[in-house]
Amino acid sequence: MILEQLSGNLIQGLVLGAIYGMATMGLSLIFGVLKVVNVGHGAFIMSGAFITLWLFNALGMNPILALPFAFITGMALGLIFYYSVIQKLIKAPELATLLATFSIGILLEEVVKLIFGSEFRGYNWPVGKINLGVTVLPMTKLYACIGSVVIALLLYFWFKKTRSGTAMRSVVEDSEGARVCGVNVGWVYALSFALGIGLTVVSGVLLTMFIPVGINPYMGGGYTLKAFVIAVLGGLSSPYGAFFGGLIFGLIENGSYTLFALIPGVEPFALTRFLSFVILLVILLIRPTGLLKAK
Amino acid sequence: MRNELEKYYPLIPVFAAYLAMFLIGKNVTGMWQLMGMLAFYCALGQAFNIFLGMTGYVDFGYVAFMGVGTYGMALGITRLAHIEGLGVVIIIIGFILSLLMSTMLSIAVGAVALRLRGAYFAIATIGVNEGFRYLIEGARIWNGSEGMIFNAQLNQILGREAASALSTFWADIMVLIIAALAAFVTLYYMRSKIGYALTALREDEDAAKVMGINVTKYKIIAFITSACFAGLLGAVSWALKTPYVFPPEVFEIHYTVEAIIIVLLGGAGTLLGPVAGGLIYGISKYYLSIILPGFQLLIFAPIIIIIIILFPEGVVGMLKSKVKDSALARFII
Repeated sequence: MILEQLSGNLIQGLVLGAIYGMATMGLSLIFGVLKVVNVGHGAFIMSGAFITLWLFNALGMNPILALPFAFITGMALGLIFYYSVIQKLIKAPELATLLATFSIGILLEEVVKLIFGSEFRGYNWPVGKINLGVTVLPMTKLYACIGSVVIALLLYFWFKKTRSGTAMRSVVEDSEGARVCGVNVGWVYALSFALGIGLTVVSGVLLTMFIPVGINPYMGGGYTLKAFVIAVLGGLSSPYGAFFGGLIFGLIENGSYTLFALIPGVEPFALTRFLSFVILLVILLIRPTGLLKAK
Repeated sequence: MRNELEKYYPLIPVFAAYLAMFLIGKNVTGMWQLMGMLAFYCALGQAFNIFLGMTGYVDFGYVAFMGVGTYGMALGITRLAHIEGLGVVIIIIGFILSLLMSTMLSIAVGAVALRLRGAYFAIATIGVNEGFRYLIEGARIWNGSEGMIFNAQLNQILGREAASALSTFWADIMVLIIAALAAFVTLYYMRSKIGYALTALREDEDAAKVMGINVTKYKIIAFITSACFAGLLGAVSWALKTPYVFPPEVFEIHYTVEAIIIVLLGGAGTLLGPVAGGLIYGISKYYLSIILPGFQLLIFAPIIIIIIILFPEGVVGMLKSKVKDSALARFII
């Protein structure tokens, strides 16, 4: 009984983990290339959720079709914030970019609140379920999972096969060296920031396909923390590391929920969120370069 | 040779500002509440500045220390209220508990986070308030998500009149005292070995290490001091002023945001900065909440970005460079 429940939850965890992983790739990409921690990460996920919600409610648009819209909006937001704020702070102390991205996050939240209000919203996209024996998986969740894996693979091939992808990897390795070899580092910074934000906004669409309720301007805070845990699991500067970190995190979160639920007199959901914070501290303490990276 | 007293001249404008707040609040009708709020923001800024300003590290989980401070006072009052005849002693025990709890949490967080540099430090702290909140709610510690309401106990301990005077008058006075104390400690640190070590660390941590400065030690000192003041502030302006505590409220990241805005507006690492920042922020927030209720953050978020890009030194930082060679220079740091 408990094993069946556990394996059911772990399957859900794996599906959610793929989305979590995808939702963290943008954070890791930006940190890897620009060495900027996007503290406003969750707000961009929230923007993606609102784009989905708005397209679905106002135009009746299928959330899958919202993906390209979210990506273009995200790239545009990324370019705007890069040229208006981040570019001017690249050489400033870390404090400046931390506070700037933090403020960008707040700005986004408040703008969305101004437009949509602060109540919790949701949508219903009925496309059926599949029964896996130990658990029932709505098709929307499955689509979101497949979407995450496909996007992660596309990013992988883009990195490996294209010129701009190679330029980006060279900047991650050694930005001075890349500059010497004729890479336009300024352009790579702008592109990476835009791409990172684009991916993050897209992940907001995928997350609402997994959890189509609870959409509100302040939903991002929890995801920021989760994304940091996942990014740190995966070594912080590697988008693929982040993807696998997401899978691990999804498993831990859902597995621990099942186990915490066995303890009488506690709130298992709150404890899983506490656990994610503990994991973050423990990994930072013992292995700040990430679990997956060789020393 | 420098006059010993001259070292403390910069405290004069700070204390003058606090005294002015007290006098305006006391003598102008209807101003007490606004002055209380301004005092809270100045104190928050002073306390936060001890760590952020002196080390250049951002602690995004700062509000957690205010939260546990609130819980310290709340626990003191609720657990001891049934003992007859203790009276004010309970409040004092509450303060001691607040200090102990914020110190313990800051040691626990600092032990992990302060080993990390820059961005990694910020990442480690960003979940402290949420993590602690979910621990309290999840494991149902101290009444879990229901929180504690201790109006009745406070009335029982002090009597109805004294309890109401405490929450409407004395709590604000205590906030002013905390702000003044934090300013004093800031200046004391600035003028001692701690301040010089932290300046070296803020400018170049590796160079400071090579010079044989035990950077970790001084970071921990600044971190714990800053956390203690946050704990006291939580105990006074949350537990005593409004005698209840709910986990989502006292661990709300919003207060960290306000602390950051105040310190940046005024000028990080300056003594007078948090006062200037607290006053500017508090007054504009007060009037914005009348003119444009609910949109304060929409206005403040772009302001922080502009300050970071255009005036990273803040108001007092700019003032400092203006008065550099004049007689005022001794008073403004």
